[in-house]
Amino acid sequence: MVLRSLSSLALVLAVLPLTGADTVKIALTGPFSGGSAPMGLSMRDGARLAIAEINAAGGIQVGKARLRIEVLERDDEAKNERGALIAQELSSMPDLAGVLGSVNTGVVMAGDKHFQEKGITKIITPAAGSQSMTQWSQAGVRDLSIFRFAAHDGIQSSMVVAEAQRRGFEKVALLFDSTNYGVSGRDDLVREIAAQGGKLKVVAAEKFNIGDKDMTAQLLKAKSGGAQAVLIWGIGPELAAVANGMAKLGLKVPLIGGWTLSMSNFIDNAGRNGNGTLMPQTFIEEPINPRVKAFIDNFHRTYKVTRMASPVSAAQGYDAVLIFAAAVRQAQSTDTHRIKEALEDLKEPVKGVIATWVHPYSRWDPNREETHEAFRKEQTVMGMVQDGRVVFGNPADRERLARSDKPVPPSAPSKVRKTR
Amino acid sequence: MDLRIIGQMAVSGALMGLVYALIAYGFQLTYATSRSLNFGQGELVMVSAFVALTFTDLGLPYGLMVPCALLFGALAGLAVERAAVRLALQQKSEGWIMLTIILGLFLLSASENLWGRDDRPFPTPIPSEAIRVLGIEVTPLELSVAVGALAVMGLIELFKRATLQGKAFEAVSADPEAAELMGISSRRTVMLSYGFSGAVAALAGILVSPITTVGPTMGAVLVLKAFSVAVVAGLDSGFGVVVVGMALGALESLASFYLGSGWREAPGLVLLITTLAARPYGLFGRAIIRKV
Repeated sequence: MVLRSLSSLALVLAVLPLTGADTVKIALTGPFSGGSAPMGLSMRDGARLAIAEINAAGGIQVGKARLRIEVLERDDEAKNERGALIAQELSSMPDLAGVLGSVNTGVVMAGDKHFQEKGITKIITPAAGSQSMTQWSQAGVRDLSIFRFAAHDGIQSSMVVAEAQRRGFEKVALLFDSTNYGVSGRDDLVREIAAQGGKLKVVAAEKFNIGDKDMTAQLLKAKSGGAQAVLIWGIGPELAAVANGMAKLGLKVPLIGGWTLSMSNFIDNAGRNGNGTLMPQTFIEEPINPRVKAFIDNFHRTYKVTRMASPVSAAQGYDAVLIFAAAVRQAQSTDTHRIKEALEDLKEPVKGVIATWVHPYSRWDPNREETHEAFRKEQTVMGMVQDGRVVFGNPADRERLARSDKPVPPSAPSKVRKTR
Repeated sequence: MDLRIIGQMAVSGALMGLVYALIAYGFQLTYATSRSLNFGQGELVMVSAFVALTFTDLGLPYGLMVPCALLFGALAGLAVERAAVRLALQQKSEGWIMLTIILGLFLLSASENLWGRDDRPFPTPIPSEAIRVLGIEVTPLELSVAVGALAVMGLIELFKRATLQGKAFEAVSADPEAAELMGISSRRTVMLSYGFSGAVAALAGILVSPITTVGPTMGAVLVLKAFSVAVVAGLDSGFGVVVVGMALGALESLASFYLGSGWREAPGLVLLITTLAARPYGLFGRAIIRKV
C-alpha cells in the first residue's frame, strides 16, 4: 500500500509542470472529457507513464545536460473549434518542442494547420481518420511537420473488408457517424470494397449523428436489405446504441468496424450485445510477453484500474512519447524543426510496448503518405469484444506477437497508398 | 411498402415519443397553475437520472431507488420554484424565463463536475431482450417507458379530478385570483405543481436512461422535443401531449427510414410551424376568450 502510494506520488512529481531551460516542453492534447474521453485519457495516461519513466531516469541527454520532459495538457473536449483554439495557443509558444495527441479527426483537421504553419512537430495519436494526412498530400505540401502514430483508416478498412470476405459474406450494410471521422471511414470502406474486387454488395449505407440513441431506422434498412454483416465507423456511445438496436431487432449478424469499437463506453454500454464485435487493434490488453505484461501491470497499478479504457490509445501514447524522446536525443536539441528532421531519419531503434520501432518515418513525400505514418498492416491485428474485454480475434495473432519480440522492419512503404 | 416495417418504425418511435410526452406533461403542470415553465426541465431530467444512478451505485435496490429519486425530483422542482420562479411571479415579470434557463445551465455545469461528462450505462432489472408482438419487436424496457409514463400521468390526472387539493389545482389554473378569494392558496398550489413537475422529470430520467444511457447532454435533446410536443398539443391538455408525443415519435422514425436518417428532425419542425400557423393555442388546446 505504501509502495503503491509512493509510486503514485513519484508519477505525479515526474509529470508535474517544470519551468526553466533544463526541460523539453511538449504538449498532450485530446478529449479528456465527453464521449471520446476514454481514448483521450488513456492516451494521456500512457504518455504520462513514458514521461515519468524518462524523467525518473534523469531525462533526455542533450549535450552535457539531461533534460526532463515538461508537459502541458489541453482538453479539446472533442470539439473542432476548441481544438483549433488550443492549436493556435500552443503554436504561438516559442519554446514548444512538439505536440502529441488528438483523438478526433475533425479536431485534427481544424487544429493541425496552425502547427504546420509554424512548423511545430506534431505526432497525431490515436486519431486514425484518413483525412488527417490526406489533407496534406492533396494540398501538395512539400515539407510537413505532422506525423502520425496510429493504424490509419486505410489499413483498418482494408482489414474490415477482408474479414467480411473471409467469412464468405456477400451483402453488407455500412453505418457511419456524420463526423469527419465517420464519413471518411465510409469512403475508405467503399474504396476498399471496390479495391478488393467489389465482391461485397452494399445493401444500405446509413449515417447517424453524435448523440443518437435510436438506430431502428438504419438497422431496419440493413435487415430488410439482407445484410450479412454491419460494417461501422463511429465512436463508443453511438456504437453501443447500434449493438443494442441490433439485438432488439434480432439482427444477428457480426458487427465489424473501426478500432473505436474497443472503447470502454462501447463495451460497457453494449454489455452482452457487444460480444463478438470485431475491430482492428494495434494493442490488446493481454500479457503476451514480459514487456507487455510490465506495461499493463504498471498502468493498472498507477491508475488503480483493472482494465484500460482504451488499450490502443494507452499503448500508442506510451510508444509515441518514446519515439519523440529518441528524436530529441538524436537532434541533440529541443528545437522543434530539428526534432522533425530527426524523426524523419530516426537511427536508434525504439523499444516500445507495441513493437520495437526501427526508422518509423522517412522524409515526407506528398505522393506517399506512408512516409509520415508509423504503422503498417503487420502491427495491426483483429480484436474481438468478449465479456467486457477486448481479446485477440484470431488466436494465431497472439502466438505470433508473443514470439516476436524483435524489431519491426524499417518503414519502406510496402504499398503506395493513393493520394485522396 | 412493407407494412411490417411501417409498424415497427411507428411503434418504436411512438414508445420513445411517450418520453417526450412525459416531459411535456411536466411543462403543462406548472403552466396550468402559474403560466410559467421551467426551461431547465431537461437538466432536471438529467440530474435526477444521475442521482438515481448514484443511489443504485450505493447499493439501493431498484424498488427503493425509484421513490427516492422521485422524492429528489420533487424537491428539486420545489427548489426551482423557490429560486427562479416565485419572485418573478410576485413581481408579475417574465424574469422566470431567464432564471430557469440559468438554473438549468448551473445544473449542467454542476453535473459535469460531480459526475463527469461521459455517458454511463443505467442498470435496470427490466430485461432488454426483445419480444415479438404481431411481427413487431419491442423490448420490455420500451414497454416500461410506456407503462410508467401513462401510469404517472393518469395518477396525477386522477389526483386533480378526485381530491380536494386537486380541485384547488384546477381552480388556480382557471382563475388564481378567484381561487384566492375562495380560500385556496395559489402559492401552495404553484409549489405543488412544481413539485409534481420535478417528480415527473425524475421519472422520465429513470425510464429513459436504460435505453439512452445517462450523460450531461441527455436532457437537452429530449427537452426540445418535449417543448414542441407541449406547444403543438396545447399547454392545457394532458391527453393532447400523449397523442402528440406518440405521433411525433412515430413520424420521426418513419421520416428517418423513408427520407433518410438526416431528416429525422424534420417532422417536429413541420408540425410545430403548421400548428402555430393554424392553431396557435395547440391542437388540443382551448382558445381563451378574453372579455374587454
